[in-house]
Amino acid sequence: MAVISVHQFAQCITCHAWSPDRSMVAFCPNNNEVHIYRLVEDKWEKVHVLQKHDQLISGIDWSARSNKIVTASHDRNSYVWNLEGSEWVPTLVILRLNRAALCVQWSPKENKFAVGSGAKTVCICYYEQENNWWVSKLIRKRHDSSVTSVSWHPDNNLLATTSTDGKCRVFSTFIKGVDAKNDNKKDSKKSTSSDLKFGELIVQLDLSSSWTFGVKWSPSGNTLAYVGHNSMIYFVDDVGPSPLAQNVVFRDLPLRDVLFVSEKRVIGVGFDCNPMVFAADERGVWGFVRYLAERKTVSSGSRYGSQFSEAFGKFYGQSKPGVGNDAVETSKTRGVVHENCINSIIRLGERGILTRRFSTSGLDGRIVVWDLENEQDLLEL
Amino acid sequence: MGSTLRLYLTCIRNTLHAAMCLQNFPCQEVERHNKPEVELKSSPELLLNPVVICRNEAEKCLIETSINSLRISLKVKQADELENILTKKFLRFLSMRAEAFQVLRRKPVQGYDISFLITNYHCEEMQKQKLIDFIVQFMEDIDKEISELKMSVNTRGRLVATEFLKQFI
Repeated sequence: MAVISVHQFAQCITCHAWSPDRSMVAFCPNNNEVHIYRLVEDKWEKVHVLQKHDQLISGIDWSARSNKIVTASHDRNSYVWNLEGSEWVPTLVILRLNRAALCVQWSPKENKFAVGSGAKTVCICYYEQENNWWVSKLIRKRHDSSVTSVSWHPDNNLLATTSTDGKCRVFSTFIKGVDAKNDNKKDSKKSTSSDLKFGELIVQLDLSSSWTFGVKWSPSGNTLAYVGHNSMIYFVDDVGPSPLAQNVVFRDLPLRDVLFVSEKRVIGVGFDCNPMVFAADERGVWGFVRYLAERKTVSSGSRYGSQFSEAFGKFYGQSKPGVGNDAVETSKTRGVVHENCINSIIRLGERGILTRRFSTSGLDGRIVVWDLENEQDLLEL
Repeated sequence: MGSTLRLYLTCIRNTLHAAMCLQNFPCQEVERHNKPEVELKSSPELLLNPVVICRNEAEKCLIETSINSLRISLKVKQADELENILTKKFLRFLSMRAEAFQVLRRKPVQGYDISFLITNYHCEEMQKQKLIDFIVQFMEDIDKEISELKMSVNTRGRLVATEFLKQFI
């Protein structure tokens, strides 16, 4: 199996991020704190607890080179944490949001980060040296509903967003003073990056009839993938004035997040509790390959049903057996690893063309590390 | 009759399996709040199409979903006046104790006899399959309970009447 390790950290995890050397993991255990655990001789020990937010933390990202953690929460705030000595010190971020922040991601050069919010805006934040804080520029009036997910293009300028209005949009986030102009060196294929106006809508993709989540760019930045709640995954090549879009419908429950493990392989995770692999063949047509973990039938003895029947029994002086037969027959098969919805998938290791390892976290409170080493059929590019 | 019950319950089970894909979603209308969108209905894009599953004219099930909550309303078969009264009293008894059941709604939706409200918090604490099993088991048990209640009322009525009329023999 592709699973390397499974660890139960909490009852429920909303989001997680790994340190650059992968020795520490930061996650939110479904409350207003960030717990950082370090792997010490095969055991996980809690080393830090970051307490500054008032409400649930919806997004964490740990930058690979500058070793900073950015957190975004439902309390409309975001903080950037710097490790000073052995303590994490928060730096204020002026987000200017009036609704919850839903997702956050560092840009590839780590000089900016993007925050998607329930206020139907996206905040692009950059550091202001004079005041030692992070200020933001807002992309307003472009989204019709909450922004659920953001993803940076490798060129540090384009940002893709998904929203509960069913659309995926790509914006330019050029900020004078932060992004240097490098037009001469860019080739014509990436001419879209030379739209140097901040907040300019490059392309709007209206492919899904339901909410969209989990947008990601491929390692080269040529392909975009995102999922819709209608159990479909969308692949868009050549994002620009004439994009080439493909839909892949799959049979089971919707996905929540995706990850490009190579230019032609995508792993999707969601309500099925089992990662799904999608691949593009030689002609560039995407399709579903298989599930990553084995699916076993689990008999769900209706424990909940029996509690209710016992309550009934008390009133009527009878005791009823709790397990209904149909419960066992029609239980859906589940992957053994995660028991509840998987809500995020993070690559482990450097941003490169090929990813071997990744980790998933879910509502069952587990963080599972997967390795594609033994999956021969998936390793071919 | 038993076969239609199986089909009805299987249909409801499958619909719930698809509909119970809930996630935590903070309110778009009010800052720092988190409300079940299916009750609030303020943002139409966050609601999905409601589904009505009818077994026959008298029994049906309405399933309304949103991004963070799901509402299931049931209309139970009531063949005559007596069953009408029994159902109303019995379900009112359960609804009054909604806290104990956690997923039960205190008042049924207009036009139905009993309603459940399942939020993302329930899905985080409890397993989805078990919640679905609970709902389906509940539906099966309701019918049995109402029949038993009716039978016991009739039996008791007969006993009381017999005893009463004995004095006139």
